[in-house]
Amino acid sequence: MKTETNPLLRRTLGGVVRAHKGLTFGVCAAIAASVATALIPPLVLERVVNRLAARQAIPFALALLYFACVVIADLCESLQNAAITIFGQKMTHGIRSALFAKLSRLPADYFHTHQSGVTASIFTNDGDAIDILYSDGVVSMIADSFKLIAILAVIFTRSKGLGLIVLAVTPLLFLFTRWCQRRTGAAQLDNRRAIAKVNNHVPETLKCLRMIRLFHAERHMEDTYDGYIQESYDAVDRANLIDSIYSPVILTVQAAVVAFMMIFAARGRAASAFFGISVGSAVAMIAYVGQIFSPLENIGMEIQNIQAAAAAVHHISEFLAEPEWAPALTPPAAEAITAFDHLTFGYDPAQPVLKDLSFTVRPGERVTFVGRTGAGKSTVFRLLTGLYTPQAGRVWLGGQCPAGIAPEARRSLYGCVSQHFDLVPGTVRDQITLFDPSCGDDAVIRALHLAGLDDTVAGLPDGLDTPMGPGLFSKGQLQLLAIARALAADPKILLLDEITAGLDAETEARVLQAIQASAKGRTVLSISHRLSRAVGKTRIIEIGADDSDLN
Amino acid sequence: MKQRRSFIRQPDRIASYFKSEVPVLIIVTISGLIYNIGMVAGPYFEGRLAQCLYDIFHHRAIWRDMVTLALCYVAVIGGVQAMRAVKRFSVRRFANNVSRNMRHCLYNSLVHPDADTLKDESLGSLLTKAIADVDACTEGMRKFTTELFDTGVVMIAYIVMLARYDWRLTILACLFTPLAYFAADRLKARVTAANAAYKQSESALNGVTMDRIDHAVTYRLYGREADRNAAAEDALSDYEKKSARANLYEGATTPLYDAVAMIGAVMILYFGARNVAGTGWIAWNIAAFTTFLACFTKLAVKASHAAKLFNSVQKASVSWKRIQPLMREAVNDDWTVMDRPVVPVSLTFDDVACGYREPNFLHHISFAAHPGEIVGITGEISSGKSLLGKILIGEVPYTGTITVGAKNFAEMDQKERLETFTYMGHEPELLSTTFRDNITLGSAVDAENFLRRTAMDQDLSAMHRTPDSPVGAGGAMLSGGQQARLALARTLAHARAIVILDDPFAAVDPKTEVQIFKDFRTHGKNQTLLLISHRLAHFPECDHVLYLHDGTGTFLTHTAMLEAEPGYRSLYLKQTLEGDRHEN
Repeated sequence: MKTETNPLLRRTLGGVVRAHKGLTFGVCAAIAASVATALIPPLVLERVVNRLAARQAIPFALALLYFACVVIADLCESLQNAAITIFGQKMTHGIRSALFAKLSRLPADYFHTHQSGVTASIFTNDGDAIDILYSDGVVSMIADSFKLIAILAVIFTRSKGLGLIVLAVTPLLFLFTRWCQRRTGAAQLDNRRAIAKVNNHVPETLKCLRMIRLFHAERHMEDTYDGYIQESYDAVDRANLIDSIYSPVILTVQAAVVAFMMIFAARGRAASAFFGISVGSAVAMIAYVGQIFSPLENIGMEIQNIQAAAAAVHHISEFLAEPEWAPALTPPAAEAITAFDHLTFGYDPAQPVLKDLSFTVRPGERVTFVGRTGAGKSTVFRLLTGLYTPQAGRVWLGGQCPAGIAPEARRSLYGCVSQHFDLVPGTVRDQITLFDPSCGDDAVIRALHLAGLDDTVAGLPDGLDTPMGPGLFSKGQLQLLAIARALAADPKILLLDEITAGLDAETEARVLQAIQASAKGRTVLSISHRLSRAVGKTRIIEIGADDSDLN
Repeated sequence: MKQRRSFIRQPDRIASYFKSEVPVLIIVTISGLIYNIGMVAGPYFEGRLAQCLYDIFHHRAIWRDMVTLALCYVAVIGGVQAMRAVKRFSVRRFANNVSRNMRHCLYNSLVHPDADTLKDESLGSLLTKAIADVDACTEGMRKFTTELFDTGVVMIAYIVMLARYDWRLTILACLFTPLAYFAADRLKARVTAANAAYKQSESALNGVTMDRIDHAVTYRLYGREADRNAAAEDALSDYEKKSARANLYEGATTPLYDAVAMIGAVMILYFGARNVAGTGWIAWNIAAFTTFLACFTKLAVKASHAAKLFNSVQKASVSWKRIQPLMREAVNDDWTVMDRPVVPVSLTFDDVACGYREPNFLHHISFAAHPGEIVGITGEISSGKSLLGKILIGEVPYTGTITVGAKNFAEMDQKERLETFTYMGHEPELLSTTFRDNITLGSAVDAENFLRRTAMDQDLSAMHRTPDSPVGAGGAMLSGGQQARLALARTLAHARAIVILDDPFAAVDPKTEVQIFKDFRTHGKNQTLLLISHRLAHFPECDHVLYLHDGTGTFLTHTAMLEAEPGYRSLYLKQTLEGDRHEN
């Protein structure tokens, strides 16, 4: 896993360090201050106890010094944590930005074949894990490692014997730590998988509520949910077991080290060259041993955090490594035709849906595609809009290669209406503009008028600014809204995919009327058995006619 | 079948979750008490060890004493830590159980919604609720349980021990702890506000993220991807700011605490040294001094953990407030429709009126349908065909009398209705699971049979899929027609005595339509079928036709209707001509 996580971490780390030099310096300074100040209080304590052993009084100033050192150490530690937190947030921000940018480079096929909840969990859950990876992982671990080394150095100056014991025990504890982490890591990965399923199950339930009620499938949905939760529960339980024994084992070893040191320190002359310490040093060493295991324990936890995040980093790396959309472009056609030229395409190239298909539609023409379900009618539209590219042959939309059309030129070239309206969060206006500020109110109102929805929208409490909600429009009105969305930038070509399917006759009539109004002066390509009445004379293109073996 | 989960009673009260975990909490209590009281062993033995070293240096003890003492120390610490491991695991088990219970409960109320509970929630906010809030909540409860022992019990144990060494110095040193609490309390309001802002920003970011992913294809089609990424970037920046702020406030509490609490250490160093020197309140040796100081330092640290306790409880209560309205008493409907036999019944409408909000759209509708019959329902533009189906699933108000077998429809409860009616609407509403799961919905029906009956088996082999292949997000791997047929297969698999199909052929091609219609005739002997459609190709095969026009309906056979209703005739003729043209 290391080999594939490193490039992602290094890239983002490098990026953040370069972009925020001040912050990076601040983090380093805070860590240095925190390491240094943490060392001082036991040294003051050593002096105190040594004075006591020598039956000397403690001046009030020395007591105050101890207090000041403790408070300063605390402050520096908080400062360090704050700096690390901010740093971690910057890293997460960088990674999430990269994730959003990646979305634009993915092929449309990715969105058709991946559950949106699972993809979203890469952004949210795995993104959060990355935050923890830096704030409570990598950077804290560096700080704790320095702390560990510094304390070890101080112990060596007081007692070589104790230093050697600690040096001998540390690798053993590390092996133990690694063993714990391996087991925890596997459990964490299982948990993330289960949580991704849980995340997807909730919005899906919302989308299917009526079906669930009418089929009395509530219990089945709950059982499915329980299955996912149970998977998560078992994984968390396994991780918890390791987590529970880890720290107690460390602290017991710590006690053993202290006991060992004291036994040898008391051995007398033979050992005193090696272990010889004053009573004050003994008290200070006990404090240091306590301190040395706390960064070690922290490192253990941090490695665990990193381990937990490793699963997240794995998901994110995998996502960022998804093959990107790099369509082969064809040169534009001589005129503004919409055409397939001996085109072959299959979602799985071994299983072509469309075989050697050719047709040409001239500007202003009306064409209807027919064919049995699954014959690939919608696929034709996906190719025409450049969501997919063919395995063989060429395709043009209005004379251009669809995959090569610039984003800002798309809306004025074509508008696309499909069976289901894709409602975006926002106001009624946003449904039409899709947040495009260049799409002004005139354009919106004109589009609404063509779609025959202007009166309906005018009747809403806040008109165009009414927040869009699930119950605001009927299904038919949503189709009209989809037409308005398609028309907003006055496109030359209209693509209509079964837009009246599932509508009652009344609504269907309104939709057809809207199409009739908006088809004027445009090329219209449609998939429907019943659209001919609205757009007048149409040419029929049959898709998949030779696939007689399926019928 | 898995064992049924048991639901928490009174799930809108935090206490209920503690109550349900009493056995685990008993283990937590026992191991927690032993561990935390045992915690004082550390400083006690460490002081004794230092004293022993001092005594050996002054020839008041021998090496053997140190060995015994040191071995005792390790044994006691080992035992105490073992208890700690038990406690840690039990507390985590407790949190895991609570998290599971809360999610159960949350999901249960999600799947049995009140008509208006869910309407005002955006998807992103709901997701945060369901997942992040439960986590924050259980985390808070776990910390509360942990700190109850690790802070509460251990602080008492430490204070008792300190008082035994020197009660005056204990009071003097601990005087500052309440002051620390007071200072932290001042910060609390800000911590809460910062946390609430952080949660809100997180929810907004999740909403933007879901939007960006859910509508990725739409944004691509319209060239809006770059703009949506910019909106996401804004949400990210806001989230980063709010999150850093919340973290800073939370982080500021601990050093403030420590600083104030550690003033006590100054007292101990000064007055404690006087004790050792013999000029104080009580005569101390070095063991007493070091134990007292170590004990007090740990106490101060524990006191600052109490701040963490406040913070986590605070965080948890912000989350809890947001999920509490969704935490309703569980609906435990432990019955299945599929276990009941299908009892063939007739359906009679007698002078029924109905409408979308009030029963004012259709009037004087009367017809009867008997088992084995197919009644085709169609009508002119805006005739309200869907209304009739929706009456039977309780979504549309009506007047008049509807009789189902011997019963009055109005007097049937929800359970009886579900046992009698099967309804298929316009939306396929498929789950992201497998073909089989979408058909069976967990019941024992033979999925292959229904795939065959809806001609889906051919599609499956053409796509190189099996019934256990996934169908994609909401059926995204399937075409519109395939989605509709899978939904139809599900409907047929669960068919009760009366089946209502609202436009089942909308996205289905004519050839498949013929096959499916044939299937109704073969398998529908026990069923009364209402076929609502505006495609009339199969209406000649219906036993009766209900033709809606002018706010009412005419009920005749197809042939009689052609004679009686010129509107029906022209509708039928127009479609058959058009259909012919397409078929050729």
